[in-house]
Parts: sequence; structure tokens; C-alpha cells
Amino acid sequence: MHRIIVKPTGVELRASSGTPLRDSLFEQGVEFPCGGQGRCRGCRIQVLEGEVQVNAAQRERLSSDELAGGWRLACQCCVEGDLVIELRQWDAAILADETPFAFVPRAGLGVAVDVGTTTIVAQLLDLQNGQVLAVRTALNSQGRHGADVMSRIEFGLSPQGLEELQNLIRRQVGALVGQLLRAARVPGPEIRDVVLVGNTVMHHLFSGIEVELLSHFPFSPSRAGLEIFNARELDWDLPSEVPVRFLPCLGGFVGSDILAGLLATRIGESGDLLGLIDLGTNGEIVLGNRERILCASTAAGPAFEGARITMGMRASAGAISQVAVVDGGVQCHVLGNIQATGICGSGLVDAVAAGLDLGIIEPSGRFAKGRTEWTLSPPVTLNQADIRELQLAKAAIASGFHLLRERWGGAEPVRLYLAGAFGNYVSRSSASRIGLFNYPPDQVHPAGNTALLGAKLALFRPDSEDGSCHHLRRRVEHVSLGADPHFQDVFVQELGFSKCAPTYQEEIAL
Amino acid sequence: MSTLEELKEVIINGDAPAAKRLTEKGLSEGLKAAEFFPGAIIPAMDEVGRRMRECEFFIPEVLIAARAARGATDILKPLVAGDPSQRPVGTVVCGSIKGDLHDIGKNIVAMMLESAGFRIVDLGVDVSPEKIVEAVRREQADFVALSALLTTTMVNMKAAIEALTSAGLRQKVRVLVGGAPVTEAWARSIGADGYGKDAVAAVELARQLAAHV
Repeated sequence: MHRIIVKPTGVELRASSGTPLRDSLFEQGVEFPCGGQGRCRGCRIQVLEGEVQVNAAQRERLSSDELAGGWRLACQCCVEGDLVIELRQWDAAILADETPFAFVPRAGLGVAVDVGTTTIVAQLLDLQNGQVLAVRTALNSQGRHGADVMSRIEFGLSPQGLEELQNLIRRQVGALVGQLLRAARVPGPEIRDVVLVGNTVMHHLFSGIEVELLSHFPFSPSRAGLEIFNARELDWDLPSEVPVRFLPCLGGFVGSDILAGLLATRIGESGDLLGLIDLGTNGEIVLGNRERILCASTAAGPAFEGARITMGMRASAGAISQVAVVDGGVQCHVLGNIQATGICGSGLVDAVAAGLDLGIIEPSGRFAKGRTEWTLSPPVTLNQADIRELQLAKAAIASGFHLLRERWGGAEPVRLYLAGAFGNYVSRSSASRIGLFNYPPDQVHPAGNTALLGAKLALFRPDSEDGSCHHLRRRVEHVSLGADPHFQDVFVQELGFSKCAPTYQEEIAL
Repeated sequence: MSTLEELKEVIINGDAPAAKRLTEKGLSEGLKAAEFFPGAIIPAMDEVGRRMRECEFFIPEVLIAARAARGATDILKPLVAGDPSQRPVGTVVCGSIKGDLHDIGKNIVAMMLESAGFRIVDLGVDVSPEKIVEAVRREQADFVALSALLTTTMVNMKAAIEALTSAGLRQKVRVLVGGAPVTEAWARSIGADGYGKDAVAAVELARQLAAHV
């Protein structure tokens, strides 16, 4: 057995010769964005003491300076001796939901679970009074097989891949339910109902449905409907007949997390046109009212989560989370009020908005006057490639939103809800400045984790409704953006920024 | 500044009307159509490629520069047709692979190759192996350039190469692959002739391989 010391946490692990580092590190919360294929640099570690072999994949992805400095891709390494390594990833900030909501009381307890690609949030509720008795969050244990939905699909297509992913997620959610019961000190038989929501890929992987059709154009679900299980077949520590329902998908990659978002925001009951944007690696956009609802998904990439940004990190201690223009320069807010070590998604959006206002960044996204990087708060800098990454993410969302509005005949929503963790933390005026959307801040509402809120609401639906939400789903039209002949043109057009700040911002400043 | 130097500048800056005007001007000054390619268009697009690699130019700038270059080549091509010294460096059949609708990266590579003197047969997106085989045969292509932006569609590149092999065409063409998830190792494992990590690398590779045909 060899000893591995992991810094900065100081955790000590033991592993035998030949053990892939990936297996040991995944337990420590390290993510493998490309699924451990050696295709990205997301899992890089620095070897401080000891020896780790370098292979071809690492030579391709790391510079010779980096290799000489002990940098390795954890997914490509095996344990061969004692090691001291330093991790370059951070813990995730996971958004639960504490929004008050209206409900019809029923007896017993219920569990609502938001099965995200990255994170899982589970809440235990008293169905009598709607009170949240316990919350548990975790990184999705499928993460060792890739950070985004496409790499999960790829793994799901490999022999036994689907079964492995299904087992991982079923076991993990079952364990979270057990933890909720223990935390609230309530017995399992009190549970009447478990409701799960998630995107189409999570829906398929939990239910064990083939994902081949989701792997290529036109990206259609094999089976989009409500999936009902009981606790016994899932092997969960609950009375065997407790129903576990994974709510149905809306189309393409748009799943029950957005269906739940519709329940939470009541877009389908509104006389006015309303919008909902869930800003994640896979961005989902909804535009609708009680007449008609359009939805679409768009691959924004991980920039909003701080990934693929040179000094990017998740929103945790040390991350620049806000940047403001002060006296012709910038002032950064660092989470935890410590020395900045990186920048998270909300900080990146603020920084680019500030750079545009200060003339440091041109409307094309290029640094002005031959500048190659911009120090925000030493040692944290932004470089040209970072801005390009943000432009790609922004254009993916903005062009999707643009095309949905076009299908509505150019109509503008009176209110725009932002769902998800990033939507909750991003500055609305900075998001407008970079052109993610273009509305005054008072028209944009951070709506929190609408997927979880919608899942909770589903726990209280009358018995006549099994959760298939067919009335609502019938009115939702899924738009395949990639198949739209204008998509590429609109996308290219949305890559740039506008020259000046929208005028309403000044009104607010006064 | 000479007309060719001026033309090079306006192509880099993406000014299509100026590119057309300067091309006409150069011709009226007695420049031969064939002189514009080595004198302005090829060096302009090489410079665009360099700036793209430095992150100084992004997708929109590259696309408008390519459009300006096309403004010039549309005027020049009919004039050099039939001139044996101006035959294309090679014919490239290109497309985004089956299951993949991503277009932009493939278009940039196609435009850069075109500016470098290759004849391009663009099959578009979601291109099946059968369509590739058919186009290679019909166009007597020298190269096949395939793009994929998804890890899940990348596998279809292998199917395309296998289809070329069973059609007995594999020895006649060089297959180049690229796109975000594609790597050198992957390219080798499926038996491609080359991998370009970006449009500049793709053009360099095609030029090198063309020199050996």
C-alpha cells in the first residue's frame, strides 16, 4: 500500500500499486470533466513529492514546462509509490430552495430531488405543513464518467456503461434519502412519495433507458414520459411500495427540471409573455404564456461555472465573485474575504462588463491597445482566450433566446426568470451589459432552484394527477435550435458585445 | 503602398467592397489575375490565421475576412480558369460528420483551404459515409476533411474511413480530421492521415500532404 497526501485539504489516502488516481481522487470530490479521457485539463494536479508516469495524452495536453513542474492529468495516472499532490479544484456551491409556496396539505412526508448533471439536491418535506425537515446535497456520483451530458452519454454507450451510470445514481439518491431520514430523525414508513426531476439525460440514466438517440442529431429522447418505480425495485431503504417518480421530459435535452421550472414560475398560467433561462453547461430557455410555450436547449459550455477559464474556479472561498468599476479601475469582491485565487462565473461576467465600460475590452471581445492580459486582483488575471470562452457561452444563450423570440413574432417577455445557481448570483446589469439578455434589472428575477421548487410542488399535486403533467406538456413545443437554418448566423452575430451600456443602466445609477 | 499590399490589408480587415474595388483596380493597372493569389490573398489569409491562433481574431473577424477574400477570388477565378499553372492545389471534400450539425468550424477550415488554393466541395452538416464516398468518386477528390464537435458523433469519422476503404477509395484520398473533441491520438487510432488542431494547422497539413501527392 502506498500513501497519498492530498493538499490543500491534507487528507491522507491509501492505495495499492497500479490503482488509477482517478478512483482515489473522485472520492475526494475531484471532477473529471471529459470523463477521464485525457481530453481536457480539468483534473490536473501538481505532484509535490513522488513520481508519476507521463503518457502520450499528458504530453499532448500539458506543456513541457508544466510537465517539468510536476503537473499531471490525474485521470491518466496510476499510483506507483508514495505521493504528495496538490489539487486544483474546489468544492461546489450548491443551491437549495427555501421559497415559500402554496400547497394542499396531505398526510405523511415526501422527498423532492433535483438530479443535476453536476449536483444533486434532496429535500425532506412534511406534506402536512410544507415544512422542509432536512436537506442533503452532493456532487453527482456519475461525475467520474464526465462532467457534461455528452460525456455521460458517451459512457452510457460503452459496454455496461448504462448499467453502471444507472446503478451509481440510484444508489446515490437512495443513500441521500436515507441520510434525510436520519437527519430529521423520522422513520421510513412516514414517506409517502418521492419525486425526481432532471434533464433528459439524467431521466434516461436513472431509468435505465438507452441513450443512443440522444447522442446525435436530432437528439430525441427514446422515452420521454413519466417513469414510476417503487422503493423495492430501487433497493432503497424505504417501505417497498413507496412510489418514486421521475417526472417526464419536454423534448430534446429539456427535461423535467424545466417542467418543474414551469410549475414553479407558473409561466403556463400567465396572460403576459414570460421567459425562463436556466444558465448551466446546458442552457435551457423557455418563452411562453397560457396560450403557448416554447422551449429549447443550447450548449453553453462550462464558462459560467468557471471551467475552461485559465484561472477559473467554482464559486467558493478565494473566487472573485464580483467586479465593480470604481474611479476608472476595478474593485473585486473575493468570496471568504481572503486573497483571490481564481474567478468564478459571476465574477467573469462582471469583469468583462467592466472591461467593456472601461474600454479595456473592445466590442469585438478583443483587448484594446495590444493588451494580452488584464490583472483583476493579483495573482488573478484574465487573458484573451478567457474572454473568447465567455463569448461562446454568451452567444449560445443569447442566440437561443433570440430565435425563440423570433418564433413568437418578435415578442418580448414582460419578465425573465433566471433559474439555477449561476442565475442566482450573476449581476443582472452585468449580464445585460455583455448581452446575455437585454432587459432592465427590475424585469429580471433570480428565481433560485426552480427545479427543486417544482419537484416539491409536484409532491402536493392531487391524486388524480400522477405527475405526467400531460395538460401542461401538451402545450409545450420543443424547438431544435441546431436544425434552425438561421442558428449559425445568429450565433456569430451574438458573439460580439454592444458598444455602449444600455441607457436604462444610467437611469438606475441616478 | 502597392495595390496588392492594399488588397491584403483590406482582406485582413474584412472590407469586402474595398477588396472587390482593389481587385478591379489591380487588373486595370495590368496585374495578371494569377499574381493576386501569392501577392495578396494567400498572405492575407495566412495573417488572419495567425491572428486567430493568437486569439486576436475571433470567429466573426475570421468569417468577414474570408468573405472579403471571396469578393476578390470571385472576380479572379474566371480569369485563371483554363490556365494550367493555376490548377487547384487539390480537391477537398469536406463536411461535418453524421449526427453533427456544427457548421462554423468546418466553414472556417473550408474558407481557409479555399484561400490557400484548394478546390472545396462542401457537403454541409450531418454528412453520411455514403455521401462522402459518392462525392469522392464524383469529384475525384484528393482530400477528405471531416469535422466533429461532439464526442458522440466523432465515432462516425471512423465509419466514414471504413466506407472509403470498402469502396476501394481509401488509397486515393488523404483524410484529415478535426474539431474540439478530436485529438492526434484519436486521428491515428481511426487511421486518418492527419489531424489539425485548428484551421491554420489544417491548412499547413493539407499543403504538406499536397506537396507529396
